[in-house]
Amino acid sequence: MFDLDLRSRKPIYEQLVDKLKALIINEVLQQDEKLPSVRTLAQQITVNPNTIQKAYRELETQGFIYSIKGKGSFVSPTAISENKEELTKMKESLKQLIAEALFLGIKADAIHALVDEATDVVNRRNEK
Amino acid sequence: MIRITELSKSFDDEKVLDNISLQIKKGSIYGLLGSNGAGKTTLLKTIAGIIKQNHGEVLVNEERIFENTEMKNRLIFIPDNPYFFSHYTVLQMANFYQDIYSTWNQDRFVKLQSMIKFDVNKKIHRFSKGMQRQVAFWLALCAMPDILILDEPFDGLDPVIRQKVKNLVIQDVAEREMTVIISSHNLREVEDLCDYIGILHNGIFVLEKELDDLKSDIHKVQIAFKDGAPTSLFDQLDILHKEKRGSVLLCIVRGKEEQVIQVIKQHKPILYDLLPLTLEEIFIYEMGGVGYAVENILV
Repeated sequence: MFDLDLRSRKPIYEQLVDKLKALIINEVLQQDEKLPSVRTLAQQITVNPNTIQKAYRELETQGFIYSIKGKGSFVSPTAISENKEELTKMKESLKQLIAEALFLGIKADAIHALVDEATDVVNRRNEK
Repeated sequence: MIRITELSKSFDDEKVLDNISLQIKKGSIYGLLGSNGAGKTTLLKTIAGIIKQNHGEVLVNEERIFENTEMKNRLIFIPDNPYFFSHYTVLQMANFYQDIYSTWNQDRFVKLQSMIKFDVNKKIHRFSKGMQRQVAFWLALCAMPDILILDEPFDGLDPVIRQKVKNLVIQDVAEREMTVIISSHNLREVEDLCDYIGILHNGIFVLEKELDDLKSDIHKVQIAFKDGAPTSLFDQLDILHKEKRGSVLLCIVRGKEEQVIQVIKQHKPILYDLLPLTLEEIFIYEMGGVGYAVENILV
């Protein structure tokens, strides 16, 4: 399903969380779709099952997935993050990126256009 | 569940393990790291019930392991030099394991044979070092142990086999909640496999933590200030290592990410950057902290 960078400095569970989030946001994993079980995923990507369990727990607290006892984990219908901490972090890194972009000479209008584009993608997703 | 309390072991006058306490949960993969001669193998052998401690207790599922054949039936130790009876063939060795371990799985033995493709009628001592190690893994995994103890397990295995062996071990951890203890010098090998790490030095644990916590609790920070670094900054941070590279200051800092960032921001640096460390770096800096530093010796 995806590859992890074992040479990276980032903890493996964080990489897993990020990769799965990307899959959910880009709709590769659809609403209410079942995620692979911890066992299957562990075997597929040769990663410690405890690490995968931890990543799933993290995704659950962030509201991206929900789990049903005895059935597994599923993609949340509205994967809108209510986690405040996550939001401030996200805003902070956006600010930094935008500052960098402005410094490199990208005009503010161009950034606004990008925001509109991203909004369209999200809206289209919500309509479905 | 493996529980070790206040374990000490000496050989003659030499103290190898000094008052060690440790808990390993069921279904966990525990990585035991340490300097050369730190006592890793001794600790593993004590857990396996091969040698007896002088002091303290080693409990596996709340039972003493030493001279406890019932517990040993559920545990396999692969030493750094796998041992086979001389002139035994793979098949003879497998028959021996089948007699000893009540949970021997013959189906699995046949299945793994089709993967490993060794001639089972060949004498094991005629195999190469790496192949002998594969035989050791093959037999160990067929005995379906609850606890698998590996001393430098990936020594002499090629990358393809290494990946296969890891995958087999992980399958057993995922499906049967097998507990695995691995000692290794190859930190990269351990990094992607273990969920818990213990670093041993001179018979004492320098550090014992969940790997992900370990990684998120220690950071490499690069900071630059307009006119020199304020000294108050260093008092507020738990600094393991400090180095100046031109106008940029490189620190290894212990603590929670948000707290470290907050402290740094208060001092208004021109730029700062926070990076997590690799296990290799954590090992080197933590060992440096207890006086086992990497020194560049000029010869």
